[in-house]
Amino acid sequence: MANSPLVARPTDALQPPKSLPPSSGGTPSGGLPRSARGQQIAALARPTMDLMEQMNEDEKNKYIKGKKLGEGTYANVYLGHSRLDSSTQVAIKKIKVQKEYQDGIAPDAIREMKYLQKLRGHANIIILHSVFSSKDQNLNLVLEYLPLGDLEMLIRDVDHVRYGAADIKAWMGMLTRAIWWCHDNYVLHRDIKPNNLLIAADGEVKLADFGLARSFADPGVRMTANVITRWYRPPELLFGARHYSGAVDIWSVGLVFAELIIRAPYLPGNSEVEQIALICREIGTPTEENWPGVTQLKEYTVPSDVVPVAGKDKYMGRFGAVGSDGVDLLTKTLVLDPRRRITAREMLEHRWWKADPKPTPKHDLPKKTAGAEEKLAADLKRRNGMVEDDDVRGSKVARKLDFGTAR
Amino acid sequence: MARPLDPLGFEDEMCPVCKSRKYLNPDIVFVFNPECYHSMCLNCANRLFNDGPNQCPHAGCNKTLRRKGFRSAFFGDLAVEREVDIRRRVAAVFNQVEDDFETLQDYNNYLQMVEDLTFELVNGTDERRRQAEAQLQAWEAEHRADIERNKKAGREADEISRVRLAAERDAVRQRRIEAIKEAEAEKRERVRSREMELDNLAKGTTAMTAEPATKVQLKRRGQVNRVAETASNPAIATTGMGTGASEVERLSIRGLKEKPKAPAPQGPYDPFGGMDFAPSRYKLHGGLSHPLMEKYRLDRQHVAGGYSFDDFAARALYEAFAGLGVFVEDEKEVGSGIGLSQETSMAAGIAAVVDADKMDLD
Ligand SMILES: Nc1ncnc2c1ncn2[C@@H]1O[C@H](COP(=O)(O)OP(=O)(O)OP(=O)(O)O)[C@@H](O)[C@H]1O
Ligand SMILES: [Zn+2]
Ligand SMILES: [Zn+2]
Repeated sequence: MANSPLVARPTDALQPPKSLPPSSGGTPSGGLPRSARGQQIAALARPTMDLMEQMNEDEKNKYIKGKKLGEGTYANVYLGHSRLDSSTQVAIKKIKVQKEYQDGIAPDAIREMKYLQKLRGHANIIILHSVFSSKDQNLNLVLEYLPLGDLEMLIRDVDHVRYGAADIKAWMGMLTRAIWWCHDNYVLHRDIKPNNLLIAADGEVKLADFGLARSFADPGVRMTANVITRWYRPPELLFGARHYSGAVDIWSVGLVFAELIIRAPYLPGNSEVEQIALICREIGTPTEENWPGVTQLKEYTVPSDVVPVAGKDKYMGRFGAVGSDGVDLLTKTLVLDPRRRITAREMLEHRWWKADPKPTPKHDLPKKTAGAEEKLAADLKRRNGMVEDDDVRGSKVARKLDFGTAR
Repeated sequence: MARPLDPLGFEDEMCPVCKSRKYLNPDIVFVFNPECYHSMCLNCANRLFNDGPNQCPHAGCNKTLRRKGFRSAFFGDLAVEREVDIRRRVAAVFNQVEDDFETLQDYNNYLQMVEDLTFELVNGTDERRRQAEAQLQAWEAEHRADIERNKKAGREADEISRVRLAAERDAVRQRRIEAIKEAEAEKRERVRSREMELDNLAKGTTAMTAEPATKVQLKRRGQVNRVAETASNPAIATTGMGTGASEVERLSIRGLKEKPKAPAPQGPYDPFGGMDFAPSRYKLHGGLSHPLMEKYRLDRQHVAGGYSFDDFAARALYEAFAGLGVFVEDEKEVGSGIGLSQETSMAAGIAAVVDADKMDLD
């Protein structure tokens, strides 16, 4: 399509000149000699650029940045609020400058922006409010503030958080709608896992972290097989498939479902080989019979003792808490052959949603207990022997909890 | 050991030796020695202890201190600082883990014992503190081997999880990098095929020129479907969404009214969350053909990888509508949740940092 969805139609007049950052050097261009082209652009772009800068400035000034909420690989996240109305809270995700890239802007930040913008407007997708750049060309994404942690925290906090089938159904409904929305907009998420499912103040689950997302590919276009965190990665990707579909996300959704029920990762492989072995053992060995063509995939290797595909009975034992209909849905998300795996739309049409118990209304869903986060941090540290950086979660807590580690 | 510290003296931030105050001398740095947790300014510590061990200058304190032992406080409150030091020391000695005990009850009793002892060390009278200290040392002597073993096991476990964590981080990084390469390769491929198309056009080859014709056809058909769909499905007009649709490409939800805010859903649970208008959107009337589909439909890698040709066909139609720019006017008037001005300013923010080319990811 001609327009990129971000610099969208109404802004055509404001489109920046293509070779904006001077550091980007050789943007491929037409035949004009460099200097002539530069002049031309300068002449055309001058008023526009001032306007752009002004607008960026305005956008930036709308928000006041507060304390740091957390740190990821690619960004620091801060609490912020609107200058006009301090009760409107936002999360400001400041993308770290990365030296590897010419302009210091990480392509995955752009990816995240692009898809969040494209998918805007669904209750279960984190809202991108705004984007602005701060000094030294740092990109800031202004996101909906989601104060209640993520699904992983709830799953892991077995001591304090109790939940049941109705709650699982509510969470799964929100997750499935999110992924249905992505797929309905021809977007693959490619990193679904419990800690990318954040929780809003009203209990709504929101899909976040679109750093690996992409549009559905055309036939013949190779996609990378190295996506999705290992425990949630479907067999076709483990076998190196380069032409895949939304079915990859559905597998991840199925594993989140399983994890919600047993409150532990269902297939926690320590390596890709082990991951495949786990899938074979628990779900069944992929063969030409149950998955036509699978042996042709580049990295197809399975343990020699072939395990037949597990029937519903086997799942009932472990996952029976969500009832027979729930288990039926679960098994359909974990079908080995991606073409026979259930789609997001079909998931939403499944009878489980209408069966008893009704999903818990979002306001009544269990929430992380006060201090759950601190406890989790402490547990993690105990496990990892790591001392958190001073400003991560409030230095006092971190240090106090860390008596065991030598200074 | 004298009763430790004088928190007020510290908060007052006056050096008890030279009487300098933070208020008058903002650069002043306070240090203390964990022998007695009495604080003084860095200058005084240097002056008094540089020539060797000396007595603590605090009135009534007769601890002998060495320069080496001084440090600055991590916590504002030296009482906290001291408690943390004590707890750290206790934890290093009482490092038994649950597996070392027969029952959970035994383990809990052990934890209780350690906590009681810690409490005495922190808050006890001189007498009880001495007792607790003696107990601690006795335990340490008695269990030296266990303590060493647990320390080693702890270090190993730490090392294992550290390595695992690092590997996990590397993997995340690698995934990101490959996604980027994927986008770049695709961009190159697109440029290449565009050039090829142009070449072929110039040469008058027919193989490729067939494609634009197909596209046009898709567009027409799609357009008809779409109009039919709006007419036949009045539900669409009222089932708007909370905050509005995504942009340009999402024709089907354009121009819809905002959903009146949540008259709490009393009816039966709707798995689609009130947004299921899509099934009627594009009816694929079989027989839809596209050169790319024909070329790859039987390709093993597409088949086994789970590639969906139905999705491709649907998307081709959808993009065809978007290309026609249907209903753009409607959208301008009603607007989706993200108002025009908001959208423009967002674009400005991006443009200020990002080369427009870069948005063209895949
Ligand atoms: N919208 C938000 N509202 C509240 N807190 C948030 C929000 N987004 C992120 N955070 C907090 O900031 C932390 C870092 O988020 P970020 O998305 O950058 O990284 P991540 O997903 O944890 O890791 P990585 O980017 O390395 O995969 C999160 O763990 C979370 O605690
Ligand atoms: Zn002094
Ligand atoms: Zn002293």
